[in-house]
Amino acid sequence: MGSSADATMPANTELPPRAERSTPQRTAPTSQAVPRRNRMDRFIDAIEWVAAIFVGIVAADIFISVLLRKLFSVSIPDSYDFGRMLLGILIFWGIAATSYRGTHITVDLVWSAARPRMKQVIDIFATLVLLGVVTVQTGTLFDKVMTTRADHVLTYDLNLPVWPFFLVAWLGDVSAVLLIAVRTFRLIVRPEIFGRGQSIKAVE
Amino acid sequence: MSTDAVAVIGFVVLFALMLLRVPVGMAMGLVGVSGFAYIQGGLPALKLVGQTSMRTVADYSFGVIPMFLLMGAIVSASGMSRELFRAANSVVGHLKGGLGIATIAACAGFAAISGSSVATAATFSTVAYPEMRAHRYPPAFSTGVIAAGGTLGAMFPPSTVLAVYGLITQQDIGKLFIAGILPGLLAVSMYVATISTIALLWPGYLPAGQPSSWRERIAAMREVWAPLVLFLFVIGGLYGGVFTPTEAGGMGAGGAFVLSLWRRRLTREQLLQSLLQATRTAAAIFTVLIGALLFGYFLAVTQTPQKVTMLLTGLGLGRYGVLALIMVMYLVLGCLMDALAMIILTVPIIFPVIATLGFDPIWFGVIIVMTVELGLIHPPVGMNVFVIKTVVPEVSFLTIFSGVLPFIVTDMIRLVILIAFPAIATFLPERM
Repeated sequence: MGSSADATMPANTELPPRAERSTPQRTAPTSQAVPRRNRMDRFIDAIEWVAAIFVGIVAADIFISVLLRKLFSVSIPDSYDFGRMLLGILIFWGIAATSYRGTHITVDLVWSAARPRMKQVIDIFATLVLLGVVTVQTGTLFDKVMTTRADHVLTYDLNLPVWPFFLVAWLGDVSAVLLIAVRTFRLIVRPEIFGRGQSIKAVE
Repeated sequence: MSTDAVAVIGFVVLFALMLLRVPVGMAMGLVGVSGFAYIQGGLPALKLVGQTSMRTVADYSFGVIPMFLLMGAIVSASGMSRELFRAANSVVGHLKGGLGIATIAACAGFAAISGSSVATAATFSTVAYPEMRAHRYPPAFSTGVIAAGGTLGAMFPPSTVLAVYGLITQQDIGKLFIAGILPGLLAVSMYVATISTIALLWPGYLPAGQPSSWRERIAAMREVWAPLVLFLFVIGGLYGGVFTPTEAGGMGAGGAFVLSLWRRRLTREQLLQSLLQATRTAAAIFTVLIGALLFGYFLAVTQTPQKVTMLLTGLGLGRYGVLALIMVMYLVLGCLMDALAMIILTVPIIFPVIATLGFDPIWFGVIIVMTVELGLIHPPVGMNVFVIKTVVPEVSFLTIFSGVLPFIVTDMIRLVILIAFPAIATFLPERM
């Protein structure tokens, strides 16, 4: 079973209008019930939006370039390179938000049977491992950015340097390290903000 | 320490980490790099991390996943599932068990544009379940049919799970998508046959719904032109070789956006939420893909796939005996893990066995997805069941599982049919 700390419905889920929903817990929270969002929450939201906007840009890039190519035999210069590099950026920034939200694909067999205190211990352990792995990944990715810069790797059509794109992607990984550290801290100090209920993964 | 011992320890640590809720991709990456470092040295292992991560996320062919996810999210937000259900219901709703058949048909239609089993189950829990209950359908049957209908999401293109299988095994994703169509239609036919049989054997169990007039039917059918056009545009383009899979995904996402705007079915907020959903899911899948590729290096240096191949082919069971053994293993694993994690973890090891035994890799993709999708509806994990339970909390797990049971039997029979007649899966892709 998968995990999703704040998204209790899978992606692509279409819910009926609120009035039609039968489950009381799915009604929209009142304004009083919405917890105040501090700077960190807004920062996390912003990171997620960066990734989401890049998804839209990649889709637009592919849609427009295919239409132009098929209908007018015109191609956008470096459309292919832009597409794949923007993809890299969106994924790393997306991983940052996913790591914070706890919506990675996980095996919840033991966790779902554990008591609340044990759940917290498991969550902290898993997040610490995540922090370690992503920190190492960030270090090695920086090496990759520097190597790409040193090798003067350029895009195919416009001969633009590739490394700045990799750098922006790497910044997404840096954000991931920061957010996982925040998640770890919050899991220890304020675990209730991530919820305790089992929820649904948005993958299959 | 021998490479065999390293491999065994690696797998033990991997399962321990996964059971301790370390994200599957991160656990695979950690074990893969640590094992590789033990055998080949630390520096080459660290170099692998940066190179593999960047290469994976910046691979244009991997863009197929976020693009189709975005298409599915936009389609869901624009309310096409209700139109599909209304249209199917207007045609067959008056039959005994007709609402169940309508649910299966609408699930198939929705699956063909969303590609997600879980999303299909969740969506129809809110769309079809209230309608079936209003017509006094039993909760067990109502939830069972939705859970089973949800699994169609992985079979019809654009299936996320089939795309991931294609990326791992380097098979043509377009062919894999097309290969899922006939088995998907077979699934629909067999589910409909199952419902009809239930209605026939227990006449009072599944009441007939209200008949619709021809005018109502035509009006309802007119509403489904948008999903139909989108499906034909994307899959037709893929089948005809007009688009690559990634381009088809981008065109699908763009097409869904244009259609939804044109029909005034997409608000700015819904569009933004669709972008967020696609991002979250894509990030989760790519994390596992990066981990799987890193773990692949570990498998390579320990020569695990070759050793497993030698072990299985040396059992003297024959190719179908080995295949049966693999299927049983997947069914058992389905009790512990979800479909995507199972595929990503096991396919790099099992795929060489299948290749050695001379099975068609495209056909095996369909078979394996069908098998792991069974895990979505059988206990104890049963993700689709879990989804339905979340949306319809008043129905117990036991009730849902009892309703799913006839469809599990149907799926087992379908699996045997597909193994006996591989052409059902290979006929269409061979003509691409």
